[in-house]
Amino acid sequence: MTTGAYISGAGHLFMMLWVLLGGVIFRAPPPNVVSTAEVSLISPEAYAELAALPEPESTQDIATPSAPDLSDSPTVPDAALSPQSPAPRPEIAEPADAEDVPEPPELDVPAAEVDDVAPSPPAAPDTSDQVALLAPVAQPEAPRSAPRVAPVPAPAPPPLAEEAPELSPGVTETPEAREEEPVVEEQPAAAPPEATTEIVTEAEDEGQAFAPRTSIRPRQRPPRQVLEATRTPTDPEPEASDNLSAAIAGALAEAATTPEPTAPSRPLGPPLTQGEKDTLRVAVQRCWNVGSLSTEALRTTVVVAVSMLPDGKPDNGTIRMLSSDGSQAATSQAFEAARRAVIRCGLNGYDLPADKYEQWRDIEMTFNPENMRIK
Amino acid sequence: MNWLRLTCLALLGLTLLPASGTAQSGPLRIEITEGVIEPLPIAVPNFVAETPQASDLARRISQVVADDLRRTGLFRTIDDSAFIARVTNFDAPVSYPDWRAINAQALVTGSVRQSGGRLDVRFRLYDVFAQAPLGDGLQFGGGTDSWRRIAHKVADAAYSRITGEDGYFDSRVVFVSETGPKGQRLKRLAVMDYDGANAAFLSDGSALVLAPRFSPQGDRILYTSYETGLPRIYLLDVNSMRRRLLNEQSGTMTFAPRFGPDGDTVVYSASTGGNTDLFSLSLRSGRQQRLTSDPSIETAPSFSPDGSQIVFESDRSGSQQLYIMSASGGEARRISFGAGRYGTPVWSPRGDLIAFTKQNQGRFHIGVMRTDGSEERLLTASFLDEGPTWAPNGRVIMFTRETAGASGAPALYSVDISGRNLQRVATPVAASAPAWSPLLP
Repeated sequence: MTTGAYISGAGHLFMMLWVLLGGVIFRAPPPNVVSTAEVSLISPEAYAELAALPEPESTQDIATPSAPDLSDSPTVPDAALSPQSPAPRPEIAEPADAEDVPEPPELDVPAAEVDDVAPSPPAAPDTSDQVALLAPVAQPEAPRSAPRVAPVPAPAPPPLAEEAPELSPGVTETPEAREEEPVVEEQPAAAPPEATTEIVTEAEDEGQAFAPRTSIRPRQRPPRQVLEATRTPTDPEPEASDNLSAAIAGALAEAATTPEPTAPSRPLGPPLTQGEKDTLRVAVQRCWNVGSLSTEALRTTVVVAVSMLPDGKPDNGTIRMLSSDGSQAATSQAFEAARRAVIRCGLNGYDLPADKYEQWRDIEMTFNPENMRIK
Repeated sequence: MNWLRLTCLALLGLTLLPASGTAQSGPLRIEITEGVIEPLPIAVPNFVAETPQASDLARRISQVVADDLRRTGLFRTIDDSAFIARVTNFDAPVSYPDWRAINAQALVTGSVRQSGGRLDVRFRLYDVFAQAPLGDGLQFGGGTDSWRRIAHKVADAAYSRITGEDGYFDSRVVFVSETGPKGQRLKRLAVMDYDGANAAFLSDGSALVLAPRFSPQGDRILYTSYETGLPRIYLLDVNSMRRRLLNEQSGTMTFAPRFGPDGDTVVYSASTGGNTDLFSLSLRSGRQQRLTSDPSIETAPSFSPDGSQIVFESDRSGSQQLYIMSASGGEARRISFGAGRYGTPVWSPRGDLIAFTKQNQGRFHIGVMRTDGSEERLLTASFLDEGPTWAPNGRVIMFTRETAGASGAPALYSVDISGRNLQRVATPVAASAPAWSPLLP
C-alpha cells in the first residue's frame, strides 16, 4: 500500500510537471500524414441485392445462460444434521452404594450424520437444446389419432394392409398334397384394425408433432462483414434458398463445435469495501459470546471457514475449522462458540452486497479472543 | 519523445496498482477480535419421568441442574413458561426450531427412572443452533437419597462440555459455623454441599475451631482446635468421624495446617518461644521437617499443585507479604510488592494463580496474581473479606465476608476469577473460613 502510494504520488507529480512544462520542454509532434486509399464502389443494384439477402436463422443471439438460482441449490438436509432418528441404547449402570455414584457409563449414542462435504452444485444446464429449431430434442413419438383404444400399443400394420372380410380356412397338409404344388390363390394381405393406447383429439394433435419442446433465445447474429467478405465480385449471386441452406448448415456446424458451458458463473463484481467488511465483522461480533469459554479457550485463536448462500445466510453445513493454536479441548470450545456466532447472527442473512456475491461466497473468519481474555 | 509518453503512461498505470491490488483473491478474510461476554442462554426442561414414582425426583433433579448452571454466571436458564416445545420422551427427536425461537443456545434433556431405592438418570446436551448434540449422552445411577449428587454430576458434565473446564458442582465445603452473639460466638465445624444444601455439623461446639482444610481425596479434614487451651491441629476422618491430634509438643502452638497434594504431607505453622515458623509432617512416618527458621512470623502455607513449592505469608520484610520457596525449605522469594498487606495465600488447583487477602487503606480485598507476582487483580472490596479457597476447577473463589457493626456476622461468598458473579452462598447459619473439597468421585 505504501509503495503504491509512493508510485502514485510520483506519477501524479510527473503528470503535473508535464502539463506545466511539457509545452516548453517537449516539441509538439509533427502532424500526422493523412493517408488515402482507393475504395471500390458497388452499384445500387448490387447493394439492393445484398440488402435483400435473407437473414440466416442461425445467426440469432444466444443469451448467456443464466446462473441457476442458488437459493434452490441443495443444502444439507436437516435430517442429516439432527440426531433424531437413532435411538440411544444406554448401558444401564451397575447398582451402587448411596455414597458412591458409579462411574458414568457412556451412552451408546450414535453420532449424528453430519455431512461436511458440500453437496455438489447443480449440473450445468444442458444447452444442447438451445438450438432446438436446428437440432430438435428427440421426443417421444406422439400417438396418432385412431378410432379405437387398445390396452397395449398395436404393432405397426404392414403396408397397404386391409381388413379381411372373414378368416381364411386352415389347410391341412397331406402327403398327396406335399407331392403336388399347392395351388394358392393369391389374396391381399389382411390385418386387424389399427389401434392406439389413448385418444388424441384433433386439437391436441394439431401442431404438436413438430413443435419444439423448449423455446430459447436465438444465437447472436454473426457480423455481416463475414458474410460479405465471403462474396467476391466474381462469385455468382447466390440464390435465396442457397443462402438459407448455408446459414442452417453453418449454424449446425457452429452448434456442433460450440463447447457447452461448464458451469454457470456469476459476475465477480468489485471487491468488498472496507465498510462492507466492517459491517460483516460487527454483525458476527455481536453474536460471538465468549462468556462461557474456559480461560484456555480464551487464549485460543481459531480460523473458521464458511460458504455463504446468495441470500447472505451461512451454509451451516460448510462451517469448518481451518486452524487453531490451542489444545484439542480448548479448540473444540472456541470453534463451537465461533460456529454459534456465525449461525446465530446469520439466521436472517448478513448484510452483504448481492452483486458481489462471488467476493463473499467463501469467507474465512479468524476469531482472536486476545482482547476478551480475563485480565 | 514518444518514449517519454510511454513512460508517463506506464507511471500512470502503476498508480492504479494499489487499487487493483485490493481485488479479492480467494475467500474473503476477516478477523473478529471483539465479542460479547454474556451468559449463555440454556434450556433445562423437566426431565422425563420414566416411571410414575420418579416424577417428583425428575422435576427436582432438573431444577438442581438448572440452578447449578445458572449460579456460575456463565449461563442464563430460560424459564419454563417460555418453552414452545415440550420434552415428553427422552428419545424423541429434538425440535430445534422451537428452541431456537426462544434463543436457547444449549438444551439439556434427561430422563429419570426410579425402581425401589435405585435411581438412574440419563441426559443429553444439544447445541441448538448447530442442531447437533454436544458430546455423547451420559447415564448416572445411585440410590434415591443421592439424587442431588446425581444432579450435580449431570450439571458438571454439561458445564464441562460447554466451557471446556472441569465442573465443581459435585463438591463439598467445610466451614466454621458461627452462632450466638458477636462477643460470644459458638464455632463449630460444619460441612455442606457447595450450594449450601445438606449441611451437617462435625463438632459439638465445645471448643473453638479454626481453619478447616480438606484432604486432596476429600476423605479427611485438618483443622485447628483450642480444645486443650492452646491451638492444636487435629485430623478428622469424615467417614468414621474419628479424629486424632497431630504432633503434640508441649508448649507449642500449631495451626494453619494444609495438606500437600499427595495427601500424606501436611505443612503447618508452629509457634515456640514467640517465633512462628513453617514445618512439614509426614502422616505415615510422623517425620517432621522445619522449613523456615527466621525470627519473623511465617504462616498460612499452601502447596503448589505439583507439590514442589510452597507459598506463604511472612513479615520478614517488615510488613506482611507473600513468599514462595521450595517444598523442602530454603531461600524464599517475595512475590507481592503492592501497597498494603498480603496474607492467606492459596495456590490455584490449575497452578497458574495465587489467591490472597489484601488489606489496604482500611479495606479488605480478595485478589489473585500470577505465581511470579505479576498481573495482580483485586476481585472484591469490603469491610472484611478474607480466607479465599479455590473451587476444584480453579475458576471460582469462595471466601468469608463479614459485615461491620455490632450486628455484623460472617457469611460465605463466591466470585469468579474474572471478578464477575459475586454472590452469597446460602448457609443455614453464619459461616466463615470455608475450604472447598476436591471434586467427589
